Amino acid sequence: MENILELQQVSKTFPKSNFTLNNISFSLPYGAILGFVGENGAGKTTTIGCILNTIAKDSGTVKLFGKEMLDADTDIREKIGVVYDGDNFPGHWSAEQLSKVMQGFYTKWDDELFRKYLEKFQLPPKQRIKHYSRGMTMKLAIAAALSHHPQLLILDEATSGLDPIMRDEMLDVFLDFVQEEDHSILISSHITSDLEKVADYITFIHNGSLIMTVSKNDLVYNYAVMRCKESQFLALNRSDMIAYRKRDFQIDVLVPDGKEAQRKYKDVVVDHVSLDEIMLLLVKGERA
Amino acid sequence: MKGLLRNNLYGTLSNAKVFAGFMILFGIFGVAVISQSVQIGYVMIGSIGFSLSAIIVAKNEFTTKWGKYKLTLPVRRADIVKSQFLNQVIWLLVGTFFVGVEVGLSWLFHGCPFDQHIAVLTLFALGISMNLFMGAIFFPMFYAGGEERGEMFWMIAILCAFGIDYTIITILNDLLEPGVTTIVFGAVALIVCSMAAFGVSYPLTVGIFNRKEY
Repeated sequence: MENILELQQVSKTFPKSNFTLNNISFSLPYGAILGFVGENGAGKTTTIGCILNTIAKDSGTVKLFGKEMLDADTDIREKIGVVYDGDNFPGHWSAEQLSKVMQGFYTKWDDELFRKYLEKFQLPPKQRIKHYSRGMTMKLAIAAALSHHPQLLILDEATSGLDPIMRDEMLDVFLDFVQEEDHSILISSHITSDLEKVADYITFIHNGSLIMTVSKNDLVYNYAVMRCKESQFLALNRSDMIAYRKRDFQIDVLVPDGKEAQRKYKDVVVDHVSLDEIMLLLVKGERA
Repeated sequence: MKGLLRNNLYGTLSNAKVFAGFMILFGIFGVAVISQSVQIGYVMIGSIGFSLSAIIVAKNEFTTKWGKYKLTLPVRRADIVKSQFLNQVIWLLVGTFFVGVEVGLSWLFHGCPFDQHIAVLTLFALGISMNLFMGAIFFPMFYAGGEERGEMFWMIAILCAFGIDYTIITILNDLLEPGVTTIVFGAVALIVCSMAAFGVSYPLTVGIFNRKEY
């Protein structure tokens, strides 16, 4: 399968904050949505910075559309739409002015499409952006990111701070976007429920290190959590588990194959596991 | 480049409109009264003020994520810097136009306010030179020292520009005999030195900006 985005052993150290992004590798195939999950400060924005060249990586390779993107590769950036968390654009502009500025940047800027999005998202084109609500500014950023017909969307916490209804609307827009088979989305978020709805793959990052990348189908159909008593836990084979977390009266154990675990350990309760719970087990629990 | 210039224009325009209003009122006053110091003040303020609005735009872009967002657009970092230098020159021309109209009208109504006609040339050269030195000092300092200190850097840039021009004029006055030739030579020296500084500052700023992380 061809990849629109590929990271190989990407590392970056910030000596002042003592934070290290440690050998991050993952890939995003064409036509897919990859959810990039991790707690605040896990390294999601740093990784996106390395992908977009806003941060210089210390080592490793990042390939976009099969090529390492340099500063001069403006043709690659033509094919990427970006949305950052918060205020993406100067507040004294109106959406109309933003469109005029963007026309000067993108050869494929589609003013008609942009206006359609403004209408769809109910964004007044003449109002100054600083008078928009937070939800409206995020919608505007998403409209701008989509209006030059990009192939790859990179969304850094684009849905955080939005209410559930707005988030749902945005997720529908993203799903529409990937209907085209050469379109892909990298979406970083700590709102795991959003990713459960749209992502095809989930990459977990914690403390600057990649924990795992799995397909959502694998997570939904195979991954499970075993609720064990102390004695049951001690009887488990370590190679069957990914991580575990001791709680007051039980030990939760994350396993990659719930059915197999149920067959092997008949007296243990095996539950479906949510992304939230996986994240908690991976971040707060201990790795097996 | 078109997008960058439009971006800079929208950014500068709102501040420049306010400043233009002030300059028109000040200009009417300057034309109405016969005062050499008012003329000098008008030329200096006009030459620097518009470009200062342009410089402040660069700083304001980092109060939102726009400064970082621009790096994800299909433009090179060198072009971002180039557009900022160009923007400063454009607003220098706007300022020079205002100043030219005011000085011209004042001259028309009251005659030359200076002992020698040629002194007006030095005044214009001083304004343009201060403007260019200000930009030449501000941009590399701004990107090297951090966007959050933008206000401090433009103040330092203005003071340094004034200091450099003052030094050039003092040296020339010490070295050369007073006269028309000295005035013309002084004006040329100010323009040449400031243009050279502006020219050197551009690749320096690009070099610094290329290494910046956001």
